[in-house]
This record gives sequence, C-alpha cells and structure tokens, in this order.
Amino acid sequence: MTERTGIRPEQAMKMLRTMRTIRQLSERIIPLYPKDVMETPVHLCIGQEAVSAGLCIHLRDEDLMVLGHRTHGPALAKGLPLKSLVAELYGRTTGCSHARGGSMHVYDGEHGIPGSSAIVGGNIAVSVGLGLGRKLLGSEGIGVAYFGDGATDAGVFWESLNFAALKEVPVLFLCEDNGLSNVMPKSEHMFADPARIAGEFMPVYRADGTDVLSVYEEAGRAVAQVRESRGPAYLHCTTKRWMQHQGVLEDDLPYNPIDPEKDCPIVRFEEFLLRTRLATPGELAAVGEEIERDLDEAFAFAEASPYPDPEAMEV
Amino acid sequence: MPWSRFDREWTEPGEGRILEFKDAVREAIDQAMQLDERVFCLGLDADDRYAVYGTMKDLTHPERVMGTPISENACTGVALGLALSGMRPIHIHMRADFLPVAMDQICNYIAKWRDMFDDQCKVPLVIRAVIGRGWGCGAQHSQTLHGLFARLPGLKVVTPATPHDAKGLLLSAIRDDSPVLVLEHRWLFKNEGPVPEEIYFVPLGEGRRMREGRDLTIVANSLAAVHAMKACESEGIDADLIDPRCVKPLDLPLILGSVEKTGRLLVVDYDSPFGGFAAEILAQVAEAGPGILRAPARRLTFPDRSMPASGPLERRFYPDVQRIAEAAHRLCGDPVAAGGVG
Repeated sequence: MTERTGIRPEQAMKMLRTMRTIRQLSERIIPLYPKDVMETPVHLCIGQEAVSAGLCIHLRDEDLMVLGHRTHGPALAKGLPLKSLVAELYGRTTGCSHARGGSMHVYDGEHGIPGSSAIVGGNIAVSVGLGLGRKLLGSEGIGVAYFGDGATDAGVFWESLNFAALKEVPVLFLCEDNGLSNVMPKSEHMFADPARIAGEFMPVYRADGTDVLSVYEEAGRAVAQVRESRGPAYLHCTTKRWMQHQGVLEDDLPYNPIDPEKDCPIVRFEEFLLRTRLATPGELAAVGEEIERDLDEAFAFAEASPYPDPEAMEV
Repeated sequence: MPWSRFDREWTEPGEGRILEFKDAVREAIDQAMQLDERVFCLGLDADDRYAVYGTMKDLTHPERVMGTPISENACTGVALGLALSGMRPIHIHMRADFLPVAMDQICNYIAKWRDMFDDQCKVPLVIRAVIGRGWGCGAQHSQTLHGLFARLPGLKVVTPATPHDAKGLLLSAIRDDSPVLVLEHRWLFKNEGPVPEEIYFVPLGEGRRMREGRDLTIVANSLAAVHAMKACESEGIDADLIDPRCVKPLDLPLILGSVEKTGRLLVVDYDSPFGGFAAEILAQVAEAGPGILRAPARRLTFPDRSMPASGPLERRFYPDVQRIAEAAHRLCGDPVAAGGVG
C-alpha cells in the first residue's frame, strides 16, 4: 500500500468500520448457515469489502443504487442497518424487505437503496433510470450502477453505457471485478476489457479493489465527475473473491489463489493505519469488539423477531 | 395504403364531443403531463415526426418526451429506475412485439418490484404498446400478447376498445402507483366516439356492458369488442356484450352477473388460445358459477400458431364480424347455413 495523506482520521476509521462490519457479519454467518436458520442464498463479500467501503463513503442518501445479488457489502456500506439485514436473512418481518426478499432482495428507502435484483445485469439499467430521475427532478443526487465483471457479458450493460452517455445521465458505473463469473474465470467469459471500451462513452477510473485507499481516491474522483458534469462515469475496481460464488465455503479454484495477507483489504488498511499512526492497536481492537457487540444485538433481534403469518399468502 | 382498410371502422354512438381513438390517447397524455410535471414519456421513435401514429403529436411539453435507442430491455429498466426515483414514466412501443425484448425487465423486475419489497415503494410506470395487424406485418409485427403479460403477478393489463375508454383508462394507468401495461390496437386508432374534454378516470378493473341482451353473453376486449358489437348490430344477435376493458384486474362480477342472466358464454379473444385470456374467463366462470351455463362455454381466438403475412391467410387467422356472429348463433342453437349465417 502506498503512503497517502489527506484522508481524515474519522473517514479512515469509518471505512475500516464498514469493512470490518461486512467481514465480521460474513464470519458470523459461516458457522450458522449449515443450521438452516437463514434459508436464503447468501453471496458473501469476504475479500471485496474495500470496494463498497471506498465507494460509499462518497455517497449520500439522495444517491440511489439498485444492487445486484451480492448485496451485503454495498448495502451495509450505503447505510442499511445491520439489524434489518440480519432479520431479512432470518426471514423475519423486521427484515429490510419484511421477509419478502431474502439476501438477494434488500430494500432501504431511507438510505437510497430502492431494491436489488438477482438477475445479473438488469440492475445496471435500473440505476441509469435512477440517475436520470435525479436529474429530471433537479436533485443533486446521482445513480450508482453496482455490478460485477460477469454482468459485462450482458447486452443490457452495453445498452446502458450507450444510453447513459447519449442522454447525459448522472450515473456511476461501478464494476466490482472479482475475476470470476460463478466458477468461470474472466478470460473465458469476456473477450475484451469492458472498462477500456467504456472509455469511448464516458470518463473511466481504475482502482485496486483490495486497497481501500485506492478505491477511496478513485471513487472520489469518479463521483465528483458525475456530480459536477451531471453525466456518467465508470469506475473499475479489481478485487478477489475469497468464497465460492454462493454459500459459505472457501473458494478452491486453482486459478483464483488467495493470499490472506496481501489480498486482504482489512489487513492492508490496518497496517497503513498503524504505520501512519492514524490508529493504535488498541483502537483497532476496540473497533472489532464494538462490531461484535453490534452483531450480537442484530442476531438476537433477528432471532426474537416474528416470522410472517403464512395466512398472508392467501390464494 | 396499408391502413386504409380499417379507417373509421366504427363510431361509438353518444352525445358530446367526438374524437378519434388516437386523439383521445393523445389528450390523456397531454393532460397528464400538464397536470403532473413528473409524467415523462420515453420510447423508440416516441419523439419523431410521426408521433407514434399521432398519439404524441403537438404535446404541450415536448421537452418531456425522450426518443430512445433500439435498446428496449435497458430502456425498460431505465423506466423502472425513473419510477423508483419519483417520476411517473410512460414507456412507449410502436409494436407490442417489442415488449418481449424487454421481458427480463418486465417479468423479473417491474412486475415483481412492489411485492418483492412488501410494497415499501411505488412503481408508477405505464408501458404503452400498439398492436399491429395486416398488410403483411406477419408473425413479428402483429402479436397481441395481453394473455401472456396478464400471467405475470404484479402487472395490470389494460385493453381499451373505445376513444372514451382509451383516454379514461390511460389516465387511470398514469395515476396508478403500480405498473400498468396498456395495449392499444392499431385498427382502433381512427374509430370515433364521444370523449369528454375534462380529465376523467375509468377505474382499472371495472368492465363495461356495451349492449344489453338476453340470449347469450359475449365477452370481448379491444378490437374484438368492436367486432362483437358490429356482429350483434348487423346480424341480429341478442347478446349481452361485456368489454372487461382490463384483462387484469378482471371484472368477474360483471361477467358472472351477465352469464347468470343469459346462461350462455362466448369469449372473443384476439390472442392465442392456450392458457390465455379467454381460457382464464372460462375457468373463472366455471369455478365461480357451476351450473349457470345452459350450453358449453365457447372461445373464439387466433389459431395456436403465428400470424401469416399473406392477406387471405391473415384475414382467416383473425376472427371477424361474420365468424363472431356464426359462433354466437351456434351457441344459441340457431340454424347456421353452411358458409354463412343462418
């Protein structure tokens, strides 16, 4: 990680807290998942936390983002309360989608998440519409299309790039490129570099998605570009997926080797924080402990919350 | 000329100002855009000189009409995003056949969005599509598809038959906070009828009895309703004619009340037969009113295959006034001469 200054300590700690919340929630889900207390397909974000944290620190509630199927990281980073998410995973009425959505369909109107979709690619077009709507209504908000590299295979991705550029839509295309489409490596599903071609349509920024400071800086530029120009921009973040596409098992694909130190955005960022004296070891430990308490509370809340009444599903 | 055959095929009787169907549609859009600045139109060729067969002509707010690339799927997603961001979009298609291009957005996104999040958000989105027919339009430019889309939970499907209903239903669709698909048959566009100048709303899910009769109930929507009306008038059929106006939500009580009176049911549905609108009506009548039918219910639909291009084939593909009359007479046990109406 390169030495950088200019980041305020409270922002640094906020990003750390976001990344640790995403990570520690995942680690909490892993041992519970085989017990079937969460009957919903989860797509964990371990290894990819920096992209959500580094992007969303630049976003406001009025910025609207319809997510894809891998929701936990970006939703928490955007502001979805932990309790609402965990209750939704538990299928309880107190969940963010009132037990109708599950892990792949989260909603938080207050924090600018008007839903998420499990059909890869389509959420990109919806997010372009969100950006256009913000512009037409005179809001300073923007749309954010958050997708993985697999989505760049879809026609709707290219249609959306064209539409956003043609109509000058204030939308940020955020590609969280983990190099895998389920188990397929990128080389087997995409011929070219979509970010390079996107450059024909709009300004393109690139970040190291395992380095939260890199994402923070490039996302800052990209979001500012969208806000100021009221037109589109593209941010490509390379990252690594540590777990299998879905579920709680570690990925063991030979072409997706993981180095738990070098590839870990949290290890890298904590080293930076200590080295630059933005945080002490005690402060870092305290963040982790505080999140553990939040998780205790969120899981207790979910477990104590009622299931929906099956009678509500009238014929 | 391609469309000359159906120019002013029918004029709805009634008092008041007379408008063509297409002008009634135009007036609904224009008034809605004047009333609410969030109403925004987009679509392929929505803003060109032909103005979607005149339905978008000389609008008061042309700045709120956006022409789009041939990207129906993405543009349907954009329309959903607009609705979720607080606008009230109308996405317009020159042909209903373009809707399946956007099936991912319509089926997986739009129809499900409110239910998937327990109605925490509104989806005030109208999709307008024009049904084509004739002059060799063939398999990919002549589909009706209302039965297909009514299969999707969460989507309302509206099929106006008269200028009055074209305006009133479209205004209701624009006012609705759920997604509504409005399918307008191109062959109705030059029909005339009385249309109030002011804004009015025809409730979605409220059918209309187009004429009173005793011998049988004919249920028909869109162009089929007009043809059924003409069949009754010209062939002396004493039918209770019900135009449900909305495929979904369906006005079952109106249909059932009529069938209880007549004891006979003919559904004329200009769509493919399998699992379609006519099949649904027959199923609902069978479930809701066992024993009320004096004769087996009948359907008159397209054959279960795609639209041919050649004129003679195409004209046989579509049921018409003559065949509706024949079917009605047969159902009532009237003598029907071979090759014609008895």
